[in-house]
Amino acid sequence: MKVLIIEDEKAMAAEMQAYLEKSYCCDLAYTARHGLEKMEENQYDFILLDLGLPDRDGLQLLQEARKNCPEASYIILTARGQLEDRIKGLHMGADDYLPKPFSLPELQARMQAISRRKFGLTDSKVALGDFDIDLHQRSVFFEDQEISLSRREFDLLSYMLLHKNRPLTRMQLSEHIWGNFSNDDYDSNFIDVHIKNIRKKLSAFASVEWLQTLRHVGYKIKI
Amino acid sequence: MAIAILFVLLLPFLVEDIAFRYNDNYLKEQKKKVLSVIWKNGIDAYLQGEENYGSYTMLKEEYISMEPAGNARLPDTIATLQRVVEGDTLTYRVLSHIFTYQHNRYMLEVGKKTATISQYNRPLQKVALYVLFGLIVLTTLADLIFTRLLLRPLGVIISTRLVNRKFPFKDHVPSIKTSTTDFRYLDDSLVELMGKINEAFEKEREFTSNASHELMTPITILQNKMENLIAEDSPDEELQRKIIGMMKTLHRLKKIVHSLLLISRIENDQFPKTDDVSPYLLLTELMEELEHRLEDKQLQFNMRLSREIVLHHLNHDLIFQLVYNLLNNAIKYNVPQGQITVSDRVLPGEMYQLIISDTGIGIGEHEIGAIFDRFKKVARTELEGYGLGLSIAKTITQYHGIEISVSSAIDKGSTFIVSFPLV
Repeated sequence: MKVLIIEDEKAMAAEMQAYLEKSYCCDLAYTARHGLEKMEENQYDFILLDLGLPDRDGLQLLQEARKNCPEASYIILTARGQLEDRIKGLHMGADDYLPKPFSLPELQARMQAISRRKFGLTDSKVALGDFDIDLHQRSVFFEDQEISLSRREFDLLSYMLLHKNRPLTRMQLSEHIWGNFSNDDYDSNFIDVHIKNIRKKLSAFASVEWLQTLRHVGYKIKI
Repeated sequence: MAIAILFVLLLPFLVEDIAFRYNDNYLKEQKKKVLSVIWKNGIDAYLQGEENYGSYTMLKEEYISMEPAGNARLPDTIATLQRVVEGDTLTYRVLSHIFTYQHNRYMLEVGKKTATISQYNRPLQKVALYVLFGLIVLTTLADLIFTRLLLRPLGVIISTRLVNRKFPFKDHVPSIKTSTTDFRYLDDSLVELMGKINEAFEKEREFTSNASHELMTPITILQNKMENLIAEDSPDEELQRKIIGMMKTLHRLKKIVHSLLLISRIENDQFPKTDDVSPYLLLTELMEELEHRLEDKQLQFNMRLSREIVLHHLNHDLIFQLVYNLLNNAIKYNVPQGQITVSDRVLPGEMYQLIISDTGIGIGEHEIGAIFDRFKKVARTELEGYGLGLSIAKTITQYHGIEISVSSAIDKGSTFIVSFPLV
């Protein structure tokens, strides 16, 4: 899948590219003009658009870009967190809106959510070790037996699965689960408690070696 | 007023003094009359050959007496003396005068009964008092009317410019109608002053908002860089640990900037107040978010809220944030196995109160006044925190015209009361 990142902060564009490159093919544009040129040359699946570009108003650019590239999915990235901007952006055809500062795993999760939504993935079942995870039904199966997880536990598991083979910090996990309501207490063990529960519930059926604890850092699903 | 009271107290003495002076003059006049009669008609007109002469009016109110004076030499004297008239001893005001007539020296006495002198004192005093009171009432009334008329612009200035004005002073009030230059000057100065305050406030707000936005981009870059470093899955544990430490610090910075931005957005009127909020549903929703933290500290949560109450003209997200911040503190500063109670009541004065109390460590007396201030480090926030949660709560309440109050004591827990007007 091809992604175009239109962002005037070069350092930031580079970091997004570095993270997404493992799953996507990324192009960079630092100005609106440059971005529009790229769109003429290539077909993109995703366009990540910064609203605060030096040469054009971001929302205006979104309108033009959507004419050139109607199939692409658009995610607005902005430091301007105003509600009106968000509503306007979504109204003008953006698929999602991510206020800065955002975390890269979150960005990727949003992109995958859009993909799933857009292409209506009929087969939403993912294998995880000896388990099957149904992302739509939000359920976990061992063979044909359903294992009941709490909402939070399922959120955690699916988020880690989405970023499989990548370490996720407790902070990233708790920000995803609780959003703005994540605790300011960084050393809290809420995530650990949930992980422990997931392990306990699943290991009754089969090995959960794929769920790894990374010392100091957090957790990772390795498959 | 003091002068009036003094005057009333002195009044009897004054009246008496005046009466006596008047009487003394009267006695002198009488003396002159008698002497002029003597010079005209001779002393015998009175004495008629006898040595002494005495005469008094019917009720013994006045008398005249003449007798040989011998060699006694006395200047004219006026004194209050006792005289025996036909067996009655009476007190008189007496003028004594010694004069020489045809080589004989005579003493003339003219007297007036003191009781007679004082007889008009009482009515005089009364009249004086009435007049005085009348004058006082009259001047007070005149003063009132005058001040009402003359100072009316001042009242208008105070009531429109100063009393009940909500900061920031956005509503425009037309200039006061007055022809007095001083009031005009005062009004103009006040308007100018408020303009300046507004301008400074506007600048601060703009600065906070711009600064926060400008900070967001570098924070994002840093955060993303660290995330990429972590994602590289380096085997160097020490390095990983340091990066995680940096991420925590950055996270803290991010939260501060977020909080400042939120405050500045609220103050910028960026949140529409059009939502209906059910405290019961709101709390239920909130508890879902906080459940894991209650469990972690083994806190007991009691909720006693009426399900029917719905509050209007609020911003749901902000009210959510407000109650969240209060509950967050109730959890954060609670003791293990403590309690949190959320209850409500409707006050007859068209007021709905949400009461959040905890059994936590409480707030000291000298700190309680500062807990809503931005960045005021209160002792209990040493644990953790940025001193912004309650200042956000305060900003949200101010924005909605809600009252928030707190009562607390060290180790006794805290109680926050949020009072919503029911209009």
